[in-house]
Amino acid sequence: MGVRIEPKSGLTVCHVDGEIDINSSPQIKKSFDKLISAKTPKLVINLSKVTYVDSSGLATLVEILKNMKSYGGRMRLACMSSKVKSLFEITKLEKLFEIMADEESAVATF
Amino acid sequence: MLLDSLKPLGIDESKAFEIKLCVEEAVRNAIVHGNKSDPRRQVKFSYWVEDGELNIEIEDEGGGFKPELVKDPTKDENLTRNSGRGVYLIKKLMDRVEYIEPGNKVRMSKRIK
Repeated sequence: MGVRIEPKSGLTVCHVDGEIDINSSPQIKKSFDKLISAKTPKLVINLSKVTYVDSSGLATLVEILKNMKSYGGRMRLACMSSKVKSLFEITKLEKLFEIMADEESAVATF
Repeated sequence: MLLDSLKPLGIDESKAFEIKLCVEEAVRNAIVHGNKSDPRRQVKFSYWVEDGELNIEIEDEGGGFKPELVKDPTKDENLTRNSGRGVYLIKKLMDRVEYIEPGNKVRMSKRIK
């Protein structure tokens, strides 16, 4: 699991790779805590290289979203695989998150 | 180990993803909620394939739980809560799920052929 942070067009893009699960969630949360402490206003999380998400991973993404909203920040998820996207559909988390098909449109329309 | 043993059956990637997720969720629930993370308590795991259907049983040494009391995580008021999503995913991704009294054993099945 890895998180790479990239400033892009006046916002922040985070590229996550690997599995977002109970093992990697604490590390992922730590990586995002730094962005939240800095009150990052606009964040796109690129999930194209995420191969697996479990309920802990979903909870971690919900936590990041809640923390960003607490100071008025906005966050979008982009480039999910069909398998990962299906979890957001089944759990209805698609209602909570802004989910974009690709990074370019997530960045361009922010 | 489970997924490796199912490879000769030609199970597709999407089903393998769903089975892995459901097993991990159920085992975690057994360890954390069932056994209360007590290392002296065990979790029994067994599986078999019968008539094109994968059957999995996971049993903990806790007092059991009532799945009907788990709040629906898809309701608007529960969307940001971090509990109940694992049980819900198992229910949705497996073809059949049964909690055996007193609720410390789950049997789940999924058609793989």
